[in-house]
Amino acid sequence: MEHVWGQAYVSKDPKALERILDDAFVNVDSDGKLQAKADVLAEMRTSTTLQVLTESMTVHLHGNTAIVTGVFLIKGVERGKPYAQRVRFVDTWFYKNGQWVSIAGLVTRIG
Amino acid sequence: MVLVCLTSLAASAQEAAGSDVARAVRALESEWFEAQARNDNRTLDLIFDNALVYVESGRLVTKGDYLLRVRSAKPQLEQIVLEGTTVRTFGDTAVVVGTYLETGVKDGKPWLKRWRFVDTWVYKKGHWMLVAAAAVPVSK
Repeated sequence: MEHVWGQAYVSKDPKALERILDDAFVNVDSDGKLQAKADVLAEMRTSTTLQVLTESMTVHLHGNTAIVTGVFLIKGVERGKPYAQRVRFVDTWFYKNGQWVSIAGLVTRIG
Repeated sequence: MVLVCLTSLAASAQEAAGSDVARAVRALESEWFEAQARNDNRTLDLIFDNALVYVESGRLVTKGDYLLRVRSAKPQLEQIVLEGTTVRTFGDTAVVVGTYLETGVKDGKPWLKRWRFVDTWVYKKGHWMLVAAAAVPVSK
C-alpha cells in the first residue's frame, strides 16, 4: 500500500489516493504543517515529485493497526532544477471494511 | 529538569464518540511527559509498547534507546508546554495530533522551538500502549 500510495502521488491519481487515505486521515509534513486528506490531494495536483524511491521500510503489526516506518528518496524538478531529498516517514494504517487505509502520517527530512 | 505544563486541550468532532478514549489517552500523554521530566523509566516502560517506533528530527529511536537516553539524561533547564491536541479514534486505535512548545537557555541565550507531533496508541491487554510517536519542528 505504501508503494501504491507513492505511485498514486507521482502519477497524480486522485482516485487511488482517495481509496488509500481514510476520510479522517491527518498528516504532518516536513515543515510541521498539518494536512487533512483534502490538503494532500490538493498538494498532489501541483506536486513537482517525479519519483519516490523506497530505501528502507519496516512494518509493525498491532492487531488491525500497522505502523510503517522507513526512508524515501524523493526526486523531482522544481523551477527547472532537479532535487533529491531523503525523508523518514511514519505511517499508521488501519484495517477497515476489508481494506487497509492510512489514518495518519508524518514526514521528516534527513540531512 | 524538564518542566511540563499542559494547556488548552482542544476537542475534535471525532472525539464525541470516543471521549472516554480521548480522556484516557490524553492522561497517558501527560503521564509520559511527567515521567520523562523525572527520569522515571519504570513508568515509561509500562506506557511504551516494546515495538515502539519513535522518530524525532529524522532519527529513528527504539524503546531501548529512548529509555537509555532518559536514564542517562542530565537535568536541563528546558520547559515543554503542550499547546493543544486532537484525538481521533479508530476502534482500539487512537491517533493524537498536537503541538508543544519547547523553551530553554543555551549559552545564556533563551531559545524556543515549536514541534508538531503524531502519536499512535493501541489498546492491548487492557491497557493503551504507545506504538508510534514522531515529531517535526514547525517552520516559522
